[in-house]
Amino acid sequence: MSEMYTLAEATMQVIQDRRSIRDYTDEPISEDDLKMILEAARQAPSGENAQPWRFVIVRDPEARQRLGAIAAGGSGRRFTAEFVTKKMHDRFAGLQDEAKRKAVFDKLTSGNVSAFLANAPLSIVVCGKKDVWDMPYDTSAAIENMLLMVTGLGLGACWVIAPCIDMRDEERLKDLLHVPEGFKVISIVAVGHPTRPHRPRPRMALDELVFDEEWGNPYYEEEA
Amino acid sequence: MSAKNISLEYANSIMYDLQKAFWDERGKGARFRVTTVGREYFRDKGLAQLKADSVAEIVDGIGNILKDEGIVADVVHEQDDRLLRLTVHGCLHRDIERRFVAKGVEPFTCVPANLVVMALEEALEHPVELAEIKVENGSCELLLVLFDTRQTP
Repeated sequence: MSEMYTLAEATMQVIQDRRSIRDYTDEPISEDDLKMILEAARQAPSGENAQPWRFVIVRDPEARQRLGAIAAGGSGRRFTAEFVTKKMHDRFAGLQDEAKRKAVFDKLTSGNVSAFLANAPLSIVVCGKKDVWDMPYDTSAAIENMLLMVTGLGLGACWVIAPCIDMRDEERLKDLLHVPEGFKVISIVAVGHPTRPHRPRPRMALDELVFDEEWGNPYYEEEA
Repeated sequence: MSAKNISLEYANSIMYDLQKAFWDERGKGARFRVTTVGREYFRDKGLAQLKADSVAEIVDGIGNILKDEGIVADVVHEQDDRLLRLTVHGCLHRDIERRFVAKGVEPFTCVPANLVVMALEEALEHPVELAEIKVENGSCELLLVLFDTRQTP
């Protein structure tokens, strides 16, 4: 890093550089890098300092195939349901190019959009202890910390909920990884070395997001 | 008070509040967290042992049990390739759907549908997704999608 950054600038740079990366090289993630990622997670805030997060590291190729299959199965079911009810057509109404539209629909309804999990050299399965008050929020903070550290390390990651959003799939995952009843599978963070740079995805402007004292009063003037 | 004497209005209002709490907490994702609702009943009634070789037999079997139990008046089905349409007439829980529709929220769970899904997955090993619940003319129109093979281990 040749430029000089203040701490705030460096922090913002990492936040802005983060992408959801789904294509990885075969290069493994080093133990040193993994430890940095997990340390970042460990430092996340949690209600009552409960630290309800637990992590299952999956590198085994066969297990990764099964994670990919569960993720693809769940995504395929959900997106096909969205397709047959035409909700998907509404969601992508702005996509006019027929060929691109078909490609997107095929990728979603086939479940291939989530099958990439099988190709990630490393998956961190994030579990949360149920017997605490704020587990979903605590574990989400830990996940975001991991994603930022991944970015800082020059690696790529994707926060994947597809294999555990449906109760049925979460149960399959828990069976596969022997996660006990007192814990919930929150998400999987797939990590690898990106095959290529990714462009940023669009973000809503602050004037659409922030209100002044009460809901509906824009805090910021509309951006030009 | 025996279980048979519990007021339906009371039971449905409690079930509505529970579902609404899920909706308020999880939004659109709530539907995926209630796909196993009805499982205890499914097991207690031995529905996993339902002998059937076809989708039609499964739906009829579940429908007949629900009719015998007085939970629904009738379940009619129609299959078009991988789309399975169920019309549930006279369901005891229809008032829950009515309350959601009145709030502008699309109903997102249905116990009869879940039972059919569980039976299909159990007996025929078809993964199934409940795609839509519509309340039409006092009945529930359910759209389910059948998948050919089990995609998950």
